[in-house]
Amino acid sequence: MKNKQIWETRPLEFWDKAKELRARWQESSSDAKRVLGQGSTYDIDWAECFPAMNIVEDNPGGSMIQAKDSPYARKCRLASEIRGWGREICGYTNNLWGSMYLGYEQDGLPFPPRKFVVFMPAECDQHTKRGQQCRDFAPVPGWMSDCTIYLGEDDPVRDELFREHKVYCNFKQINDLERIFGQKFDDEKLSKMMDYSEEVIEYSRDIIMLMGRTIPSPLSVKDLYSVYTIGHLTKVDPEDTVNFWKMVRDEVQWRADNQIAAVGNERFRWVEAHPPSWHFLKYYRYMEKYGAVCLGSQYTAQNCGLLEYKPDGGIDRRVSMKYPKDTPIATREDALRMMLGPDPREPRAWKSDEYIRQDSIVEFADIMRADGALLPLWRGGVGCTLTRKEQAMRLRKAGLSVIYYEGSQPGDRTDLDEQRFLDQLDTWMESFGYEMLD
Amino acid sequence: MAAERSAGAGGAGLVTAGIDAGIAYTKVVILKDGAVVGRGIGPTGGVDRRERIEEAYQRALEDAGLDAGEVKGVVVTGKGKHDAGFAGKRISELLATKRAVERMSPGATCLVSAGADETIVSASAGEGGAGEYAFNQKCSAGLGLFLEYMADRLSMDIGELSSLADGVAAPEASQAAEGVAIPEAAKAGEAAVNEGCVVFAELDALSLLNHGVSPADVGRAVNRAAAARVSAVINDITYPSADRVVLVGGLAKNNAFVRALETLSGIKLTVPDDAEYAGALGAALAAADSAQ
Repeated sequence: MKNKQIWETRPLEFWDKAKELRARWQESSSDAKRVLGQGSTYDIDWAECFPAMNIVEDNPGGSMIQAKDSPYARKCRLASEIRGWGREICGYTNNLWGSMYLGYEQDGLPFPPRKFVVFMPAECDQHTKRGQQCRDFAPVPGWMSDCTIYLGEDDPVRDELFREHKVYCNFKQINDLERIFGQKFDDEKLSKMMDYSEEVIEYSRDIIMLMGRTIPSPLSVKDLYSVYTIGHLTKVDPEDTVNFWKMVRDEVQWRADNQIAAVGNERFRWVEAHPPSWHFLKYYRYMEKYGAVCLGSQYTAQNCGLLEYKPDGGIDRRVSMKYPKDTPIATREDALRMMLGPDPREPRAWKSDEYIRQDSIVEFADIMRADGALLPLWRGGVGCTLTRKEQAMRLRKAGLSVIYYEGSQPGDRTDLDEQRFLDQLDTWMESFGYEMLD
Repeated sequence: MAAERSAGAGGAGLVTAGIDAGIAYTKVVILKDGAVVGRGIGPTGGVDRRERIEEAYQRALEDAGLDAGEVKGVVVTGKGKHDAGFAGKRISELLATKRAVERMSPGATCLVSAGADETIVSASAGEGGAGEYAFNQKCSAGLGLFLEYMADRLSMDIGELSSLADGVAAPEASQAAEGVAIPEAAKAGEAAVNEGCVVFAELDALSLLNHGVSPADVGRAVNRAAAARVSAVINDITYPSADRVVLVGGLAKNNAFVRALETLSGIKLTVPDDAEYAGALGAALAAADSAQ
């Protein structure tokens, strides 16, 4: 069964704007006039609130290194490995800090030294070691909010303690940075940015919903990943961020209304789990030749919070990520409490559920109207393999076809057998009777 | 695959060929009007794989007494399928094997294909379903190659390794070297090697030999380790359908491995004649389907 073009498809118009914003972020990352720090700061846009400081994120820098220049990425990781950093540690981190050990960046320019580090709090792997290499090297001061996670039923008392602890962690970081670097933190800007953040979440939810509920899907995750980090890890002006995501939502809505497909021969819809193999995104195009469109994962949906069916049959975000807009803010702590949101058991919106409830991926696949799932079996690092087999069992019981691929981790292609991966995709599609479009 | 070899797919005088270009061996089956009229086998080789695949194909044509020009369709499967440029079509190993098992063992509810490189398990489809299947993970690939290699390390041929069934007395008792104690498990005839990685398994095997464990006992351990890995792939199937499980692929010829797998999995296995030609037969049947 060879698939022919069924629906109209068009280039994405928001793409030029995305490239412009990304270029601006790239320039700001090497702004020598600002105090340069390193980190992964989901919680606060430090660069906006500290106008004379800048934070370069561990990611997407680390994944970009692997995606763009595999031999250089291997050199970076080797530079980390010979200093004792294990291969199972986050590949993003090893790529980025390996370039520091080498002394030059991907473009050959000297690695800009960092003056401080703010580690990313995350439970998924060894993120707690993020930034440690930087401190060992310099050393420079570093901070990290604790990652607040527990297993089992919700515990309101523990949640409250977690919430206040996180407020304290962030409060201390701000105060310390003000004291050490003599910079003033802009509290008003923090409040304003929360409004922006809420708008971006709403647009993100609309986009994921349109991808999942519309046949043909107006946007594939291959396209979404091209802009996915804008405003989050790839930080740009907040107002520009909101305008950009509105632009994306409006275009995707228009495409959905007019049956403009991401994949013109869409016949098969599939989901995945956690970050993809950034170094081998070719597999999305390969699957498109079979008429198969990828609708993303719980990881993709994290920008808006995982979607779920509501008791009334509707679909919306699983957890409320924000307090009501009219919640009074009198102090910096109030603002931080607002920013961190009412759910401290992080980041339950997508990742913790994979530890606690494998069923959530089944619900996600159903919402996205998926026929199958392609799950990674990583050897380590971000998106580790915990619960992957259990997820597959539940997906199969729900009637989906499931296959795996194996590799080191998203930021490290060492263990990826490219041809085996593609051969197994062939097998998957052939098992449905699909042949590749000529 | 006996001479008259049952009819099935194919029309009057229709000749098709199926090639299974495996990691270790290339197997070829020639069909005429759905009946097997020729077979060929040969090592797939390395850098010269294209030539070796063509040689195996020519061998099968000679066996059939046919000329390449008489063949109306050639389909190739196996890891080397990208190297058989003369074939008209490539299909996956899963589809080829499923097609063959339908013919070799009608009514099979599940197939297990264990070859030099890959293990595939496929449960038959329920109503309207495509059927569930599972592959081995990379670290347990290369089982057939591993067994051949280990037979060589143990100074056996593959036939001898295949005859080392559990419960049969070792031809020579384990004897410890001076000052070296035979492991207790080996004394009880339960010597074991790593079941997760063939490199570690080889090191374990050498260690057992160093401790005086007999080659026969080590060979049994090696067979059991291979069976454990295939059993793990069977366990990956969420809905096992174990009523009639058919084992094909090169490892199906290793009796000791088959018995060990039956013991570990608790499944009675059916091994068809010429089980190692399953992929090639399925490819030839697919070629016949396409040619009609």
